[in-house]
Amino acid sequence: MINVTGLDDAAAVIADAMEQQQHLGVQAMATKAALGRDADYDDVINVSAFSGIIDYQPDELILTLRAGTPMHEVESTLASSNQMLAFEVPDLHKILASQSAGTIGGVLATNASGPRRLTAGAARDYLLGFDAISGRGERFKSGGKVMKNVTGYDLSKLICGSYGTLAIVDEVTLKTLPKPETKISLLFPCDDLSAAVARIAGIFASPHEPNAAAILPQAIAAKAGIDVAGAILAIIRLEGIDVSVADRAAHLLSAHKEGVKIDSDASTALWQQIRDVDLLADADGDIWKLSCAPASAPAIIATLFDHFDLQFFADWAGGLLWLAGPSGAEFGTAMRSALAANGNGHAQLIRDSGNSKNVIAPLQPLSSAHYALHKRVKAAFDPRSVLNFGRMHDGI
Amino acid sequence: MQMPEPDQAVIDRRETICRDLRKLVAADCVIDSVEGRRAYDADGLSAYRQLPLAVVLPETVQQIAAVMKYCHGEGIKVVPRGSGTSLSGGALPLADAVLVGLGKFNRILAVDYTNRCVVAQPGVTNLAITHAVQADGFYYAPDPSSQIACSVGGNVAENSGGVHCLKYGLTTNNLLGIELVTIDGEILRLGGKHLDAGDYDLMGVMTGSEGLLGIVSEVTLRILQKPATQRALLVGFDDTGSAAKAVGDVIGAGIIPAGMEMMDGLAINAAEDFANAGYPRGAAALLIIELDGPEVEVNTLIDRVAKIMDSAGASSLKVSNSEEERNLFWAGRKSAFPAVGRISPDYLCMDGTIPRRRLPDMMVRMASLSQKYGLRVANVFHAGDGNLHPLILFDANQPGELQRAENFGADILRACVEMGGVLTGEHGVGVEKRDLMGIQFTEEDMKQQQRLKCAFDADHLLNPGKMFPHLHRCAELGRLHVHKGKMPFPDLPRF
Repeated sequence: MINVTGLDDAAAVIADAMEQQQHLGVQAMATKAALGRDADYDDVINVSAFSGIIDYQPDELILTLRAGTPMHEVESTLASSNQMLAFEVPDLHKILASQSAGTIGGVLATNASGPRRLTAGAARDYLLGFDAISGRGERFKSGGKVMKNVTGYDLSKLICGSYGTLAIVDEVTLKTLPKPETKISLLFPCDDLSAAVARIAGIFASPHEPNAAAILPQAIAAKAGIDVAGAILAIIRLEGIDVSVADRAAHLLSAHKEGVKIDSDASTALWQQIRDVDLLADADGDIWKLSCAPASAPAIIATLFDHFDLQFFADWAGGLLWLAGPSGAEFGTAMRSALAANGNGHAQLIRDSGNSKNVIAPLQPLSSAHYALHKRVKAAFDPRSVLNFGRMHDGI
Repeated sequence: MQMPEPDQAVIDRRETICRDLRKLVAADCVIDSVEGRRAYDADGLSAYRQLPLAVVLPETVQQIAAVMKYCHGEGIKVVPRGSGTSLSGGALPLADAVLVGLGKFNRILAVDYTNRCVVAQPGVTNLAITHAVQADGFYYAPDPSSQIACSVGGNVAENSGGVHCLKYGLTTNNLLGIELVTIDGEILRLGGKHLDAGDYDLMGVMTGSEGLLGIVSEVTLRILQKPATQRALLVGFDDTGSAAKAVGDVIGAGIIPAGMEMMDGLAINAAEDFANAGYPRGAAALLIIELDGPEVEVNTLIDRVAKIMDSAGASSLKVSNSEEERNLFWAGRKSAFPAVGRISPDYLCMDGTIPRRRLPDMMVRMASLSQKYGLRVANVFHAGDGNLHPLILFDANQPGELQRAENFGADILRACVEMGGVLTGEHGVGVEKRDLMGIQFTEEDMKQQQRLKCAFDADHLLNPGKMFPHLHRCAELGRLHVHKGKMPFPDLPRF
């Protein structure tokens, strides 16, 4: 383990690694070590020391900090001005058997986003700019510290979700938003997944502005302590100022008589369990995350139920499926076939309870044309494959 | 503005090239004549003009791919063009480049309410997306002021914004998927109707890449339910500092308006002369603050914002009580550019962003620059996000005034970067701000960006001469540092 304190240190380490043709892992708290492929590294650069808030301007909605800053520190800083990261950072420590939600750098590197991603965007939508060292050992910056900026290529998007394979990031600037005054949820019992997806689509076609929408089969809902009759529950969250939330809830409950209201504290607890995937933490087998077109969810789930014993729930109005099922290649392969037959998407292995990573790629495999372009992009930043080589895809 | 030296050998082959292109697309889709090409010789930055080598208007994605493959094989440059409304010269032709116009890609392919998106060809106008879904209560949020004409493919290329992006984001935040044709004629799909792809976010990189990385041949756009109510406040201030502070106070109070616009005294009076919108003529600064959402929410927030404005020292305040009144508040702002066009023979529209708290400093700086250059400047701002649009007034018929205006503009953009901001908030770099990139970025920053360009277009054939002041050959950019006096592993192949 090589501890570095800043980008200059990191540059020297990378230069050495280039010379010695070494592959280096990059980590801070390593809470997301289970994500992606198991790659062999000659050594690991530890960037935990890249920590601390640099500048926070609440009325500009701007937070600049170092990438190794722990999430709890980010959240307490924002809470002091009643603000938040709107993409709702998941804390997957229960299913990943790690210690915490990790650092903001890890969140950005995996583009991790929670329930509000449906309406507010992902981590990648909130990174405004950064400073980094490329795999060439050269310092560069991209973006800026203002909200509206189209100067040069938007490398912030590329860095988000690149699993540290392109550069080591130090300073990042994020857009923040005010916390809503009130949040409540409404539950609607439905007969099946199709009905739940349709119910949510109907509510999104009304002007009542739900900002998150999940679908829980009854057995999963029971784990969250929800005791409402119905095969499956469509759940939407309303946020905003008190009078607005009350008014919208009243409208929706009058249009959908069977709806049940969940008040603020219970609602917060429920969405935290959805966000953090606590609801599958006790399930056996592997856990997969599947991103699909919301309307495709029923067909995908139906196909999988035909062949596997599984548990699932949906977030993002049906567009994010969390599934627990048997270990091994078969389950993931079936998911990827079902996706291909239903408008495409992305299936990622999140918790490997056995040996699955050795028999199936944890990230959705790329077509040959996409792979070739990815490889060229990797080479543009890290031509000697120094950084997290092979973490996302073999050879990248 | 120095453009890359045209390749005379390519220009000499013009007739052959046109003949070859006619084998790839319908014969009448290659525009060869001088008069025909003249229609494409400039975009929205009309100070710069250049006849393209030839204009091709493909009708299918396979034709785009065939044209790209041909040009790539023959070493011919390509300039992509949507509606040609770029304000930074993004679609400015080159003498030795084939201009690929996407005007025939004008169909909406699918409206999908369950997945809340529209799939469209790139030549469809921005406003046509909203028109296709508004009867069902939906709309497409990004609303650049050219939305009646600009194309959604161009919006992707420029990452276009608009007055509502404080709350609803730019194009990049409202784009779900694209189909892309690379310079070697490969057709790739990035994203789709699902939200997160899980690979490198190449769609994010394509957005705002100004036609340097590929041609967008299809887009999938997120649509939103139209807010139930929209109301606006029109607030005058006796000084710009108080107005700027009031904007911060609104956000500090946890309120994110749909739009927050600011105008200075010169812009207020020009707009009022033009539109009779009821603007306070004596005010030094005017804010238009729009709130949208459920009626009870909008009404409550209007009251809260009005109180904040009072405390901030507003000299006048009006609240819209009808759609007519709200539209009237906007009429002045929306006609600000033509209004300024009436009080001056010519104007330059600049586009930088600063941290909003620096606005009073920027006003002082602009006043002193205005004196230095002897030219007036009118200001309209997207105040919520710190995006400035100074309009520099000049007369092109006066010798030297255009140059003075350009120098004035460059100084404003330098001040933006010096104050912690950026060169362009929404208009793009193009040719207009290309030579200023070095103010914001180091040579190393720009080289890293160009290495990414090389991953898409190793021969610099796509839209060269835009965005980067210096073109470096990809082989040169790929060279590695000599470490400790020698290049490691000299015998290994290098990218």
